Amino acid sequence: MLQHVYLIPLIPLAASLLILLGAKEDPRSPMPFLGIAATGWCLLQSIAIFYGAATGELSLPYGADWNWFSFGATAGGKPFLYDMPVGVLIDGSAAVMLVVVTLVSFLVQVYSLSYMRGDPRFKRYYAYLSFFTASMLGLVVSSNLLVTFSCWELVGFSSYLLIGFWFERPEPPYAAKKAFITTKLGDLGLYLALMLIFCQVGSFQIPQIREFVARGFMPAAVATAIGLGILCGAAGKSAQFPLFIWLPDAMEGPTPVSALIHAATMVAAGIYLVAKCYFIFAISPVAMETVAWIGAITALLAATMAVVSYDIKRVLAFSTVSQLGFMMCALGSWGFSAGLFHLTTHAAFKALLFLCAGSVIHAVHTNDMRQMGNLDKKMPITFFATLVGTFAIAGIPGFSGFFSKDMILERVFEHDPRLFVILAISACLTAFYMFRLVFMTFLGQERDLDRYLHAHESPWPMTVPLFVLMALAAFSGWLLDRGEIFTRLVNFQALPGIAPAHEAAHAPAYLTWYVTAFVFFAIYLAFRLYGGSNFREAESIKRRCAPVFNLLERRYYLDDIFLALVGLSDRAARLAFWIDSEVVDRFFVDGWGLLMLALARLCHLFDDNLIDRSVDATGGLSVSLGGTLRWIVRRGLVQEYLLWSAAVMSVLTLLTLPAQRYCLGASVGLGLLAILTLLLVRRPR
Amino acid sequence: MQNLNLLTPEIALCLLGLGLMLADLLLSVRRARLLYHLAWFSCLVALGLVLYAPSWAGAIPGGGALWVVDHMSQFFKAVVLICAILALMLSLPYKPLPDAQAGTFSALLLFSTAGMMFLVSATDLLLVFVALELISLSSFVLAGFERRNRKSNEGAIKYFLFGAFSSAIMVYGISLYYAAMGTTHLTAVGPASPALALAMLFILLGFGFKAAMAPMHFWVPDAYEGAPTPVTTFLSVAPKIATMGVLARVFMVLVPASGMQMTVLLALLAMLTMTVGNTIAIYQDNVKRMLAYSSVAQAGYILIGIVSGNALGLEGVLLYSAVYVAMNVGAFAVVQAVGEHEGSYGLKSFDGLSRRCLPVALVMAVFLLSLAGIPPLAGFIGKFYLFASAIDAGRAAGSGSLIFYALALVGVLNSVVSVFYYMKIVYHMFFLPPRQKEGGAPALAVGPYIYGCLAVTLAAVLFFGLWPESLIAHVKFSAQHLP
Repeated sequence: MLQHVYLIPLIPLAASLLILLGAKEDPRSPMPFLGIAATGWCLLQSIAIFYGAATGELSLPYGADWNWFSFGATAGGKPFLYDMPVGVLIDGSAAVMLVVVTLVSFLVQVYSLSYMRGDPRFKRYYAYLSFFTASMLGLVVSSNLLVTFSCWELVGFSSYLLIGFWFERPEPPYAAKKAFITTKLGDLGLYLALMLIFCQVGSFQIPQIREFVARGFMPAAVATAIGLGILCGAAGKSAQFPLFIWLPDAMEGPTPVSALIHAATMVAAGIYLVAKCYFIFAISPVAMETVAWIGAITALLAATMAVVSYDIKRVLAFSTVSQLGFMMCALGSWGFSAGLFHLTTHAAFKALLFLCAGSVIHAVHTNDMRQMGNLDKKMPITFFATLVGTFAIAGIPGFSGFFSKDMILERVFEHDPRLFVILAISACLTAFYMFRLVFMTFLGQERDLDRYLHAHESPWPMTVPLFVLMALAAFSGWLLDRGEIFTRLVNFQALPGIAPAHEAAHAPAYLTWYVTAFVFFAIYLAFRLYGGSNFREAESIKRRCAPVFNLLERRYYLDDIFLALVGLSDRAARLAFWIDSEVVDRFFVDGWGLLMLALARLCHLFDDNLIDRSVDATGGLSVSLGGTLRWIVRRGLVQEYLLWSAAVMSVLTLLTLPAQRYCLGASVGLGLLAILTLLLVRRPR
Repeated sequence: MQNLNLLTPEIALCLLGLGLMLADLLLSVRRARLLYHLAWFSCLVALGLVLYAPSWAGAIPGGGALWVVDHMSQFFKAVVLICAILALMLSLPYKPLPDAQAGTFSALLLFSTAGMMFLVSATDLLLVFVALELISLSSFVLAGFERRNRKSNEGAIKYFLFGAFSSAIMVYGISLYYAAMGTTHLTAVGPASPALALAMLFILLGFGFKAAMAPMHFWVPDAYEGAPTPVTTFLSVAPKIATMGVLARVFMVLVPASGMQMTVLLALLAMLTMTVGNTIAIYQDNVKRMLAYSSVAQAGYILIGIVSGNALGLEGVLLYSAVYVAMNVGAFAVVQAVGEHEGSYGLKSFDGLSRRCLPVALVMAVFLLSLAGIPPLAGFIGKFYLFASAIDAGRAAGSGSLIFYALALVGVLNSVVSVFYYMKIVYHMFFLPPRQKEGGAPALAVGPYIYGCLAVTLAAVLFFGLWPESLIAHVKFSAQHLP
């Protein structure tokens, strides 16, 4: 089974190309089913691998490499020929990721059958989705960091295409651009990290890099630099502080896309990458701490911002950022499996929540929660699904989120209590804003009658994925935590001689219930403020704390700060332009031109007066010489010819015998005689 | 030591010439043109014998020390025979030649050719003189062959008188040579005595008459203008080439000019020849006369190679001789076609030739450009070799280098001047409207013989211009093994 694992990214890629190039745009085109089938096949494969790994039938990690090309390189001052391989590496985390990606992708594609029906670019949408799936799977299975990076860029590109899918509207292209550029900013760090890795190790192969680190060849300082570079890339892709500004705007894309890319899979790629390179972070405490603190800060900031947002998708987006912060923080606190566990459960319930949001938006055609309300009767399935997802994310005991979040909190408490406090507050905020969402959307009274009347439950392609995800959101935590299946599967292989990964939680047991109590309090608070039909109390609080709300609504001014930075670079560009046009162009280029012009004038003068004159002179000389020579034979008398010959001959004789005076005299005499004779016979006949 | 077998081609040619005269008596006038065919076939036979012969290494003397046969002599003999064949080809369609004397005409041409073949082999002044006289006497008659044409008569007479004059000078030179050396055999001499120097000068002037070098060039325009055009063609190439061959042999190999302190004299002669030819040509409005002066100038260019006196110069002389034959014969073939058609050789006959017969006009332009030495045509390669030899000699000469550089400079300047009158013909051909006759300007009718000549010469000019290596290799081969 594993020897054909390389097909997992290739089949969706083939499907994507087929869909894109193989058919015309047609609403009834069966092409989407091609993409669904491809992803379905991958899903079955992934589940088989996961099952085999979980039961111990398959021994992981599995790796296979094929040579791609060779190039001469230098690492550590030694030149060598590097055979660049392209290969697969399946370990526990990859097996989990495969299931997550293929499952969500499959469900989202089914869901989109209904959600995107009637879109003028229906076929292209599926081609993009398949392409994204292929890129993401390639990222997951690749054993070569450079190939991983290529796929990393390709998912960014697919994300760009899909955020800007409705490019006729003004916002999506802007959002797509913003997402792409912001992510790229992070990729810069990742790229530098990759180069540093190659300079150090001389290979892009993860097993070899791991071996290199395990033997202690990599200095801690270099590991720190590499780790921070990877973190930079991960922060861009996984929307960590301060690069998370793009994710809320990315909600301009179709909602299923948000569910797939900006909730479950692509944004998890950063977490996944950090997990893949965990052995580098393991030897660098600085990098580790940075990861933890970045995660914690992100979790808190995003949660606070979610509290004040009225856009249902934005709330979910902030929530996603916040949850990603949880994962990052867990990884930074030596909670390797905790972070990945949360990634898995989060994928399920966040995809569920996004699809529910999509269902709601599909029904009422707005994102604004203030125009919803009392939809629970109209859309019971969606309501129920949302409720399950909310229970899961809020960490209500028994639901999946409870298990994973609990694992993280225990781990973080062990590592650093300060981080624990931050995360606990974030967890309470999570419960608060999620129930706020539920109350505002489904309970209370309808606030927009028109929209309320038109609302309806979604058709089956949209509800069936909801049921599947509901089941997963509810039970996956329990299932995977049972007997510590997940921990066994993805456990970080500790490096020998390095700080051991102390995964086992020793946190006091009451901690969980302590936090859970606060969570319930937060839910109560949400009910008090948003449970009714009008939000008078909430509004009054908002009025009283206007500056705080303002700060949150403006997203801590991070967007403005970035814009200011962009403005700075704009200024710099203007300055550069000014220098270019005023100094370089005017002084150097124009000056050079003027200099050349002057030189050209000089040349012209020279040409005109010296060259041309001499040419004219040559011509004139030739003409006058020819005229003279012709004149002397103008009569065509043969005796004249002979005399002229004799005359020239005399001169030649003179030249022949310069030393002989008598000959000279004779020659001169002869010449004179000849000329004299000539003159004598000049008289015309 | 007689080695008479070495003279097989010459003997064969003479016998065939005599045979032609006999055949003339037997053939009726109507079939007289057959004699031209026999004549060129005779030349072809001789050419075959010449080309068959040179499989020996080195130079083989014959007749005591009267002549020598080596690769260079064979080269010039082959070129001269090719000239004769081309001239006979051009004679075939030429109307003014009387059919009744076809045998005489072709026999004289063959004798003249035989004389040139003797000349290029000669190493003894006696044979040189006899060969020259053979050439001259035949040529005098050929030049005056259009008996009804007064111009032809005038040209022939002038040619004859000038020939007599130059023969006298040459004989005087030979007698001085004999007086100084006690032999007529050309051989390396010690320091020049005044009598010997004078002898060499007079001999040189005697050669100058045949090669149309200044100051012995005065007969050229008149004789060329008056002579039947095929004869003009022949006279403008064959004797000149043959004379250049013997000049090269005498002044570069047997009695080197540098040893006689004659380099400066020769250089002055070359400069004078080029300048006189080119400058007077500017004023000519008769194309035959213009090309006559042009041929004077061309002789001056070839003389540069002889003045240089190095291997490059010798190769240049050979190379330019071959190339000159191609381009000059080609140009004269066009002149003959146009002149016969128009009844006049004036520049105006060429007006609008491009509109009357574009191929001929284009071909003429190619020949003229080649004569002017424009790359990538053969004339450029030849001139390049000659000028390069002068520069080379200047570099080798040290203190006396100035004259060589001056020579090269004058050569280049003269090339510039020559472009002017060559392009005048091109201007008339391409930029002036055809002269209006009643019924419009008739298209130029060109016969197959002329077309054949043009094709051969054009091919040579283009081929040797674009791929000169083949000719250069041949020339290098021919210029080795000199006595």
